[in-house]
Amino acid sequence: MSAAAETRVSPGLRTAIRAAGLSGLALIAIAVSLTDVIARAPADAVGRGPPLTPPSAAFPFGTDILGRDVLSETAHALTVTLANSGAALAVALAAGGFAGFLAARLPFRSGFVLRWAMGIFAAIPALLLAVLIVGIGGRDLWAVAAGLAAAPAGFVRAFDRARRLSAAPHAEYARASGIPASTLLKRDLVHEFRDTFLSIAARGLAAVAITLSTVSFFGFGAVPPHRDLGLMIAAARPTYLAAWWTAGFPALVLVLLILCARLAAALEEGERP
Amino acid sequence: MSALVTLDAVSVRARGEAALENFSLAIAPGETVVLLGEPDCGKDEILQLLAGVPLKAEIAGTIRIRDGQAERAARFRGRGLRTAYLAGPYAQPFSPHASVAAQAARVIARKLDAPRPSARAEFGAALERLAGAPPLATFDALPGALGPEMLAWGLFAAAFAGTPDLLLADDPLSRLSPTQARAMAALLQAEQKRLGFALVYAAMSTEVVRWLGGRIVVLRHGKVVEEGPLSRLATAQAHAYTRTLFRAAPSLTLDAEKPRSQSRAEPVLQVHALEWRKNLEPRETVTFELRRGRALAFVGEKGSGRHALMRALLGLERVEAGHVVLDAVDIGILSEGMLMRLRRRVAFVTGSDEALDPRMLLWDTVTEPLRAHLRLPRGVIAESREAALKRVGMAGLKGDVPVAALSPFDRRRLQVARAIVGAPLLAVIDEPFHGLDAFAQSVMRDLLREFRESEGPAFLVITSDVAVAQALAEDAFVFAGGRIVERGSLAGIVKAPKAPQTKRLIEAVRPQETLSPPPSGG
Repeated sequence: MSAAAETRVSPGLRTAIRAAGLSGLALIAIAVSLTDVIARAPADAVGRGPPLTPPSAAFPFGTDILGRDVLSETAHALTVTLANSGAALAVALAAGGFAGFLAARLPFRSGFVLRWAMGIFAAIPALLLAVLIVGIGGRDLWAVAAGLAAAPAGFVRAFDRARRLSAAPHAEYARASGIPASTLLKRDLVHEFRDTFLSIAARGLAAVAITLSTVSFFGFGAVPPHRDLGLMIAAARPTYLAAWWTAGFPALVLVLLILCARLAAALEEGERP
Repeated sequence: MSALVTLDAVSVRARGEAALENFSLAIAPGETVVLLGEPDCGKDEILQLLAGVPLKAEIAGTIRIRDGQAERAARFRGRGLRTAYLAGPYAQPFSPHASVAAQAARVIARKLDAPRPSARAEFGAALERLAGAPPLATFDALPGALGPEMLAWGLFAAAFAGTPDLLLADDPLSRLSPTQARAMAALLQAEQKRLGFALVYAAMSTEVVRWLGGRIVVLRHGKVVEEGPLSRLATAQAHAYTRTLFRAAPSLTLDAEKPRSQSRAEPVLQVHALEWRKNLEPRETVTFELRRGRALAFVGEKGSGRHALMRALLGLERVEAGHVVLDAVDIGILSEGMLMRLRRRVAFVTGSDEALDPRMLLWDTVTEPLRAHLRLPRGVIAESREAALKRVGMAGLKGDVPVAALSPFDRRRLQVARAIVGAPLLAVIDEPFHGLDAFAQSVMRDLLREFRESEGPAFLVITSDVAVAQALAEDAFVFAGGRIVERGSLAGIVKAPKAPQTKRLIEAVRPQETLSPPPSGG
């Protein structure tokens, strides 16, 4: 959504959307902290019930082809997805937004060379980049790979924003009255991140959660017994048409996670690189 | 002759407060009515009602067009009246995404019920009729690429091309230099005579009132304070408020005394044979000295070279030849880092509303020069902040208010507070009264004078208004076409200007003078 489009949403409605999204994320965080209570079986515990049992009082989310309790598996998978998304988000924010902000202040043309290189990476779909990084660095790096894959777009956005701020009249006046570059950087970091950090983080969480789950779905990410939601959906492929609950519930939880993150960002997409 | 528009006992109440009380006004065809007052005096509400803009307020009273039925003011949408609107200096009447010409053509097409190409041709014809206006092709650019003067030409031409019955103007001249504003006022009057429209002009400054003439309605807190023709109000005001309003803004003194010889305070700025313009033939150099507590004005139109010299003096631009010694240091031998340190002793107070970071909070804005340069205890910083805010009359405001939420006048005072805290040797005062009402200008003038007297910085005043220069400085350089065309004491320059460009600048603000009287009563 462009800045002009964002203005169509009234501030009151935006606050309500954000509050709904944050509340949803808080509930998901509570659910993750109560995984041991919600999950009645350890992760990847086979033979907990008859294979492919539909949802019932005994198995609210049913069982999969190996007799695993889908509710317990989904709870464990959500924990894995969320933990890895957090790590990936930290990498994306540091290597993306923060690095872009600093690079905009590099001397001479070095910042622009970096911006140019990152612009090329930002044009590649994050999923392909993540798969490429996993291929080079190994499967253990899949969370880092998802973060690094999301970083170029954030880098480019932050770089362009920082350049615009640096050329703003107030920055020119500040420099002309001897305010040092470090003070201006601090000023920009504090105000930019104070006002928009929540939106950036929520948007980033949704993006990395999608990338991580898709990488796992393709089989390049999570490894059993620590299955994430993407791997759960992938494992249910042979039985999905006959037993919808095996992939339906993990997919629903993943959709809810992404939806809450997008709502917490007030459905803003930020400036396009 | 019957009135074109009649407002009868109109009252507006917004957010529980009276914005306009029992206001009546009959506007004759071809008449000029100037609504004069500070912001929030009720003139905005009158313009909006006449423009047929729905207001979120309780509205009483009626509005009648010519001899028609009186309509309830709350439901008045201007049907039967062709109205044009000249937006104010803080409004952005053009969308940034389409060219000015395209937007003007769209508005004209709607007004005249004509196809878009004819409307564009009308816009072009209106521009051609305005002496000195740029050609139509200039306006094929996006609004962001055009300066305020160009946008003003576009707005005026679009308004005239719509052949209005009533032209509503929200002080569009206040952001222009006096010379430009006066020329535009003359054009406005010429077009009014030609097209016969009535003009309602909401003004903050008495200068514009003098130029436009007509009937003046002085408003305060939504009530009429005084009403009458300019010939009476400009000289014999009956109400003390009107008298103060007319005397508040800086005015040119033609017979000012020449100030006594320069003080012997230490020099802040020494300039020797400085050649600050590239590719200027014949080459021009400047040599002068500015001492502590003294003030020098750079007077000239935009683009005349004032800012180029200021940037050269502060080391913001490379100079061709010569030396600039700032605080006893030749800036030509300094590295960029050392120059930055030296510039700590420079403060800015400007008419630009973008001079302060809109995201910063009030207290942080004031104390930033201290926090950035010195390691002082928090208590000392807080003391300086409080003292500075008290001096500019802003001590009562909350410290966590973002700059973006402040009024233009508050932002201007905040710049003074920030300058006071920084204890500068040199203060660059760049069009400090731009866009302010008469009272705000008066307050700013007093604040700046008091700042200079108590802290003793040298002032470098940059302005296109000789009256502002005279209010804040003793000496001046007059700029035109990238050169200094005249220099000396302001008293001498005003009394006996030599250069034609200086004469034009003085003419624009000469007191007690009006342009040829506009047609009255159609």
